[in-house]
Amino acid sequence: MKDEKYILKWLNGEISEEELSLLKQDSNFKNLEKIAHYSSQIETPTIDVNKAFKEFELKKATTTKKGKVVSFNYKRFYQYAATIVVLLVSSYFLFFNGATNYNTQFAETKTFNLPDDSEVILNANSTISFNKKKWEDSRYLQLKGEAYFKVKKGKTFTVHTSIGKVTVLGTQFNVKERANYFEVKTFEGLVSVQYKDALVKLAKGKMFKVINGKIDTLNTFNLTNKSWLQKESNFKSVPLQLVLNELQNQYDYTVKTKDINLEQLYTGGFTHSDINVALQAITIPLQLSYKIEGKIITIYKYDK
Amino acid sequence: MIKKSLCNEEDFNEFYKSNIQFITNFSHYKSGDKDTALDLIQEVFLKMWEKCSEISYDKAKSYLFTSVNNLFLNNLKHEKVVLNYAKNSPYIDINNQSPEYLLEEEEFKHKLKKAIEDLTEAEREVFLMNRIDGKKYREIAELLNISQKAVEKRMSSALKKLRSKIDLL
Repeated sequence: MKDEKYILKWLNGEISEEELSLLKQDSNFKNLEKIAHYSSQIETPTIDVNKAFKEFELKKATTTKKGKVVSFNYKRFYQYAATIVVLLVSSYFLFFNGATNYNTQFAETKTFNLPDDSEVILNANSTISFNKKKWEDSRYLQLKGEAYFKVKKGKTFTVHTSIGKVTVLGTQFNVKERANYFEVKTFEGLVSVQYKDALVKLAKGKMFKVINGKIDTLNTFNLTNKSWLQKESNFKSVPLQLVLNELQNQYDYTVKTKDINLEQLYTGGFTHSDINVALQAITIPLQLSYKIEGKIITIYKYDK
Repeated sequence: MIKKSLCNEEDFNEFYKSNIQFITNFSHYKSGDKDTALDLIQEVFLKMWEKCSEISYDKAKSYLFTSVNNLFLNNLKHEKVVLNYAKNSPYIDINNQSPEYLLEEEEFKHKLKKAIEDLTEAEREVFLMNRIDGKKYREIAELLNISQKAVEKRMSSALKKLRSKIDLL
């Protein structure tokens, strides 16, 4: 009976040619073949599937008059109910809380009015969000990036940034908040700037600056020069790194540098309309060179 | 991504229609009784419909066979199983029409039938599911909730009995 394994394989239709020829050498194989053959011819009751099914349907109809009680799945029902509640609640908070967002991409500015007709001009790569519903009670907005505000007289107007807070009553001013850089310029009226514990009153024509945590309040600026609103950025003694960051905000390029001092201070400005003119405005005063390859700008030391 | 469910009428009907013949065969191998078997099977399907939410579709087939199996365990008296050959079934050598050959084959068939009737129920159901319904050991094992090894053991012992009985007679 050492062939038993092969016989079982054979009956299961899994035998290989080789094993089968081995099996066929067995003198009993003829009988085995007959057993396999004739046993499969044993009659089974022939079921008329459709007739049986009809009978079944009839039986089902008479015995389950109470309806398909079991098929009502409470667990599932609660799951659906909970989902709907969650959707309703979250959509209420999402869509009816009056939260409004404005944002700009690289090299894009946007002008819009707040609910009280105060004017906002949003510089590139910036976001403003505020609550429309609560605007009448408190004029409060969150700013990321840079924006120019022309505030209508009224209740306190607060601009909140991650670095500092600016509060006014009605004036024109510019707030700029970029990585490690915070700047407020007053164009009209009086602006109070709160940076950490310090509270600074900023008169017309004054400028408040925080670079890498260092406060600089003694700056003035040219009132007629609203720089980026006229499609250019202006800087006064600002580290080169921050200037280049702003360049990346205004143009959709990546800036790389090679062997140059990013801490050196830059005073000047660049235009928003032509990348070459802008780069020249930055590099020539600092005696640097640049090249543009695709979307990458490399700035390096100027070699004679 | 809709999962099939017994509670879905369409899925259930499909399940019914694709399994009714096979499950009837199964009960026939166990008892050899045709008439009461179908009624019992209808009952089992009805119960499955009522409990549809408790039975996952993947396990439904196994559930069906287990239920029928249990019914036989509990309720049915085991009478002597009587089997028959299907009419007009061909001989192994269809070209050989000599009277001697035909007689020989008929005699063999008769012996085989008796031997199969004399198998234990466990051996007979496995053996015939394999031979008649062409099921693999793995499938049979799944349906009966036993291991494949157990199926192979039953096949072996069934074969052993059949061979020795045929050789004896």
